[in-house]
Amino acid sequence: MANKKNISWYLLFTLPLLIIFTIIVVIPFLIGIYYAFFEWDGIGANPKVFVGMDNFLALFTDERFMKSTWLTVLFTVLSVLTVNIVGLAFALLVTSKLKLANLARTMFFMPYLIGGLILGYIWQFVFLDVFTFIGEVTGLENIFFNWLVNENFALFALIFVFTWQMAGYVMIVYIAGIQGVPGELIEASKVDGASPWQRLTRITFPLLMPAFTISLFLTLSYGFKIYDVNLSLTGGGPANATELFAMNIYNEIFGYGNYGYGQAKAILFFVIISAVTLTQVYLTKKREVEM
Amino acid sequence: MVFNKKFMTGVAFAAMMTGLAACSGGEEATTEGEGGGEKITIFQTKVEISDQLEAAAETYTEETGVEVEVIGTTGDDYLQQLQIRLNNGTGPSIMSVQNSTVAESLKSYVYDLSDEEFVSNIAPNMALELDEKVVGIPYGVEGFGLVYNKDLVNPEDIKDYESFNSTLEKFKSEDINGLGLSSEAYFLIGHISNYPFSLQEDPEAFMDGLTSGDVTMAETEEFLKFGEFMESIRANTTSPLGVTYDQQVGDFAAGKTAMIHQGNWASSLLADFEVDFEIGMAPFPLEGNDKQAVGVGANWAVNSEKEPEEIEAAVDFLDWLHTSETGKKIIVEEFGFIPAMTNIEANDLDPLSQAVFEASNSGETIAWSHNYFPANLVPNDFAPATEEFFANEDITGDEFIANLDAAWQNAVK
Repeated sequence: MANKKNISWYLLFTLPLLIIFTIIVVIPFLIGIYYAFFEWDGIGANPKVFVGMDNFLALFTDERFMKSTWLTVLFTVLSVLTVNIVGLAFALLVTSKLKLANLARTMFFMPYLIGGLILGYIWQFVFLDVFTFIGEVTGLENIFFNWLVNENFALFALIFVFTWQMAGYVMIVYIAGIQGVPGELIEASKVDGASPWQRLTRITFPLLMPAFTISLFLTLSYGFKIYDVNLSLTGGGPANATELFAMNIYNEIFGYGNYGYGQAKAILFFVIISAVTLTQVYLTKKREVEM
Repeated sequence: MVFNKKFMTGVAFAAMMTGLAACSGGEEATTEGEGGGEKITIFQTKVEISDQLEAAAETYTEETGVEVEVIGTTGDDYLQQLQIRLNNGTGPSIMSVQNSTVAESLKSYVYDLSDEEFVSNIAPNMALELDEKVVGIPYGVEGFGLVYNKDLVNPEDIKDYESFNSTLEKFKSEDINGLGLSSEAYFLIGHISNYPFSLQEDPEAFMDGLTSGDVTMAETEEFLKFGEFMESIRANTTSPLGVTYDQQVGDFAAGKTAMIHQGNWASSLLADFEVDFEIGMAPFPLEGNDKQAVGVGANWAVNSEKEPEEIEAAVDFLDWLHTSETGKKIIVEEFGFIPAMTNIEANDLDPLSQAVFEASNSGETIAWSHNYFPANLVPNDFAPATEEFFANEDITGDEFIANLDAAWQNAVK
């Protein structure tokens, strides 16, 4: 009986959320799949022509889309690495016996509280004025110039800013993980004569696996889906050198007016993200250890 | 316990029903407001006149009692936003339509204004027409060209390629930026790319030829010359890629830039900067061109999908704006437009607008070809090609023109 009562409580609290989720995620998603089979310019009154699988087939010969795919993969792989390495380093730093640990924790987390759009504009200014200024003063003009206007560097500028934004967030996840490592285990290893490095790699990291799972999942999916920083920092330029997945889809739909084709891209995008993140969760879950 | 369960379900249902009721209530209220013809909405592309338009809307409400809501715009993504609004049923009653390409794609939404009386006042050839019907009232005429600082530049020195090039070189040696462009798609390439098109005998036919593949830019003399101009600009001036419109105009106002490629719309920003030198506008001297590029940047159009009462109210507003004394004053003094209506007089224009107005009256103008470009060609395809040209010194002017050919093909495929 108590169980049934619980179900009512569950319903009371989940139903509103479920309804909202259905309306703004599930239904548009299904409609989106439907549109992917049509050639349509996105203007309500204009005709939709059923083209079957043509939109999906066209994807594989679309060079700009392929380039965007490659850029997105490159961006995601590199930024997952940098975000997690930096985030983990931050977490280790602020959980050590540092005097300014609490202050540092707040400072590291701060960038995450700034919206991606604003962040992009701030960094646009940093790259444009501060970087060129440092370059002029130090004479290192090969490193410090406006990265955003260089086709080869713009993507790294994007990774840089994304890392700056996300590292503080995954730091919090890692801090929680590190604090969950039982003190007696560390102590026991000390007694056994383990060096700090061994303690880190043999005791802390295995016990941190759940934190790795969630941090990698978050950064992977955020990385693939990034749009706001992309839009405000580079706008996809120069010469489409930083046009990532989400932006490519937006441009296809609203720039070129190919609504159906853009939807087909979006579906493929969804499939890729789900496949990659689910694989990652499966792999890291397997490595988690039970205490 | 059973009671409890029923109770909880009841509460949940009640909560839901309240929610639903609230929703439907809200909807009804808005439909009533719109259907009653007592409220019109305006969504338009020109950021420069946003505040003035809101003030005009208030004046109109005071005079007639009709409520006018102005929806804010960010400018660049106007068309996307408009499309979203039209699709989800929150489309405005009055919208702006930039040109005939856009009108064509929105043809099921643009209301036929041909029979309205005030339409007959539109200056010859300036009305936006679709299938012989007038669907748009021009905001005003606008023009762009080389906006120059009279203290630094003598217009005689920018009469052809040789003098233009040597002027830029001279400024480079003096550490002044000879010509400023900016990174926004239209200010980077959209406007300046007009010249080789507009200098063709029949620009529209030429563009049709490009689309069908009968001609290419790479085989056309004017475009190759244009490539040389762009090479000269790249070699002698600061790269426009990191520059915004505000910076471009700001540097010009501060005397750090001698010329900018801009239009009369820049005067309001220049006024904000309190420029202390005289400015002028010179034609871009491609192939010795000595005519200003003058055209219509945007048009007012009425959304035909709305209720008849709302359409009528929208037309009334446009009528008021273009025929009443208050409305005409707003167009000229508040919006700062150069009127494209024969019944509106223009006095006290700023120097740039004056130059455009004079050119327009004398007929010494070339057309705005970019109004006939494939939809979104400039931001989608021309801008990336141009960014590549400015970022990579190895690309020659000829290669750049070939890239523009490819960009055109990509846009029409």
